[in-house]
Amino acid sequence: MQQKKQIRQSLELISSIPTLPVVIEKLTRLLQNPQTSAEEIGKAITTDQALASKVLKLVNSAFYGFPGKISTITHAIVILGFSTVKNVVLTASIFDAFRKKGTGIEGFDLEHFWLHSIACGAAAQSIAKITGSNQKEECFIAGLVHDIGKIILCQHLPEEFHEAYVFAKENSILFFQSENALFDVTHQEIGGFLAERWNLPKDLQNAVKFHHAPSPTRDYYMMTAIVHCADILIRALNYGNGGDMKIPVMSDNVWKNLGMDSIPLSQLFEAINDEIEKASIFLQIT
Amino acid sequence: MKKIPVDKVQDGMILFRDVCGPSGNILLSRGTVISSALGRRLKNWGITTITVEGKEDSTQEQKEVSVSEEELRNEMQGIFSGVTDNPIMKKIFIAAYHYRLHKTKQE
Ligand SMILES: [Fe+2]
Ligand SMILES: [Fe+2]
Repeated sequence: MQQKKQIRQSLELISSIPTLPVVIEKLTRLLQNPQTSAEEIGKAITTDQALASKVLKLVNSAFYGFPGKISTITHAIVILGFSTVKNVVLTASIFDAFRKKGTGIEGFDLEHFWLHSIACGAAAQSIAKITGSNQKEECFIAGLVHDIGKIILCQHLPEEFHEAYVFAKENSILFFQSENALFDVTHQEIGGFLAERWNLPKDLQNAVKFHHAPSPTRDYYMMTAIVHCADILIRALNYGNGGDMKIPVMSDNVWKNLGMDSIPLSQLFEAINDEIEKASIFLQIT
Repeated sequence: MKKIPVDKVQDGMILFRDVCGPSGNILLSRGTVISSALGRRLKNWGITTITVEGKEDSTQEQKEVSVSEEELRNEMQGIFSGVTDNPIMKKIFIAAYHYRLHKTKQE
């Protein structure tokens, strides 16, 4: 057997991995204190003007579906609540950290990648809704970042990325299978590593790490299961392309645990499409 | 209204019709002011032409671009090749195929 290329270490050592704005950390701290007022949080967010204006665009979009105009961050907090606003800030920041940088490689189009990511977030949110999960917003973020490891690979080791891309294509296999065959690391692990560095919630970290191998014996199984399912359903709807042209096989266990057999798929597809349509605002704010 | 290829989009043009994504969802709604940069982006999403406000430049009508049943089936069979023995995947394939076919016919 051919020796696998050792790239894990070099990826772990990269110091230029995008960071989230300081405001995220500040928000987390503020939110831990029950005494924190909407004004204080509003102030913390508005110190980053560019971010604040994106947050306002998002909260006024169909994605959050609030009728009427929200003109200040403080107003947004009063209406949507702390946790939603924090999720909006987090989503906008993640998107920002990667959107502008990097170019695709031949055949791997970054626009397609982001459409796939947004669609996965939207689908995860729809599945969460239909299965009665109370983590809709978190599921959106998990779907949005599930393949983020591919971007890191593409930006920092473009040759290796290209190699994996070509290998997947030639052998008609999935991207992670190609990574598995060639390297000592996969995009799930790279993404998980980033999610850890970013201090994202544990369930989100696990959803990124295990979206291709969900196991009910692991913690935070439900969010992982939802992202696994979302990734597959959107590929069936042609929102593929995270570097391959194949569809992974659905885990029996995920299908069962989410109760998918009792959910009419056409209805779910419709809900997913609606959600994607609303979420396409993300492509317009950056 | 006029139908133009996405690489002919100029800044400030206004969409006359919604721009729909691969499975029929609306990516940009009518009335949106668009830019040439956005036009290039649309191309990346596989969209070739859009309809904007204004007069038709030439008299010749351009043909509607639509996905035929066969194209859809071929595309999906490529993605699903090797997995349709799995009953869940078969179910997803059939449901998605019918859903997407229905969507393209709606337009
Ligand atoms: Fe993945
Ligand atoms: Fe994916």
